Amino acid sequence: MKWRKWTNILHRDIGYVIVALTWIYAVSGIALNHISQWNPNYRTVKEISRISPIQGATREEIVSEALAKLNLTEKPKNAFRPDPETLQLFFEKKTYSIDLPTGNVLAETTRPRPVLYEMNQLHLNSPKKLWTWLADLYALALIVVATTGMFVLKGKGGITRRGAWLTLIGLLIPVLFWVYFSLKEVK
Amino acid sequence: MKRSLILTLVVVILAGALTLAAEGRKYGKSLTLKEKTKISDILANPQKFNGKRVLVEGPVVGVCPRRGCWIKIAGEKDFESLIFKVKDGVITFPMDAKGKTALAEGVLSARTYTREELIEMGKEHAKEEGKEFDPSTVKGPKTVVRIEGEGAVLK
Repeated sequence: MKWRKWTNILHRDIGYVIVALTWIYAVSGIALNHISQWNPNYRTVKEISRISPIQGATREEIVSEALAKLNLTEKPKNAFRPDPETLQLFFEKKTYSIDLPTGNVLAETTRPRPVLYEMNQLHLNSPKKLWTWLADLYALALIVVATTGMFVLKGKGGITRRGAWLTLIGLLIPVLFWVYFSLKEVK
Repeated sequence: MKRSLILTLVVVILAGALTLAAEGRKYGKSLTLKEKTKISDILANPQKFNGKRVLVEGPVVGVCPRRGCWIKIAGEKDFESLIFKVKDGVITFPMDAKGKTALAEGVLSARTYTREELIEMGKEHAKEEGKEFDPSTVKGPKTVVRIEGEGAVLK
C-alpha cells in the first residue's frame, strides 16, 4: 500500500534527524530526574585548610589579612561577612569561606560538568526564544515518529496483532500509575 | 579585500562580546525600575516595602545549588543579605553567579513564620545544600524577607 510506504519513509527519515536530540533529552532527563541526589550541572570540589586566626577589625583589614595568609595576590571580585565570625571571598570560579577566630578555611571550586551542563540547559529550555520553537518541533517530530512507528510492519508483528498488545501495555503504564498515585494521595 | 572583510568581522564580533560582557547577562523579564532601593533600608523596615516592587543591587553571595532557583544578594553593610527567589524553571541562575554583582527586580515579601514552619524550611534548605540540619538551632517566630524575583542582570 502506498500510504505505508510514506509512513515508513517519514518514520525513518524523521527518526534519523531526531536521534541526537533524543539522546540529549533522554540523558539529561535521567540526570535531572535525580536532582535531589546530585547536582547534574556543576561539580564542586571542596578543600579544607587552616590559616592562623584573623584579627583585623574592619572589613578591609580582615580581607587584606586573609588574602595575605592565603598567599593570594589576585583581588577578589567581592567579599562578604554573613556573620561576625565568617568571611567569604569570591573569585571567578572559587569561593573561600573563612572562620575568623579559628582560621579554618573551606575553599569551593565550582565547574560546569562538560557536555552534561549544555544538555541540561537545552532540556530546561534555558536559551528560551528560538530553542522554544525547536523544542516544540522536536516534540511534534516525536509524535510523528511514534505514530508512524505503529504502522511500519503489517501482519503478525503489526498494529492489528502483536503491536496492539504492546501499545496497550505502553498506555496502561501511565494510566495505572496515575490511578495508584491518586489513591495514595487520597489516603 | 578578503582579509579586511575577515578583520572587520572579527572586530564586530569582539565589540559585540565586550558590550554584552559590560552590560551583563540578563535573566527573566527586563528591568522596569530605575531607582534602586538599599538592602539595608529594606531590612531595617521590611513591612514598609512588603508587597512593593523593588530594584536592588549587590554582590551575589549564594546560589541555589540544585536548581539555581534563588540567589542571595548581600547588602551594603556586613551581615545583611536577602534571598531573591524565582519560580523553578522560569529563571535558572548558574552556580558561577557567586561573586558577580546583581541588579535584581521583584516584589518584596516580608512574612512571619512560626517555629514549626521555619524548621520545615530549614530541613528543605539543608537538603538542597546537602548539609546537616539541627532543628534546635531554630528560634521562632521569625520574619523572612525575600524578593519574589522577576528579572535580574548579573555582571
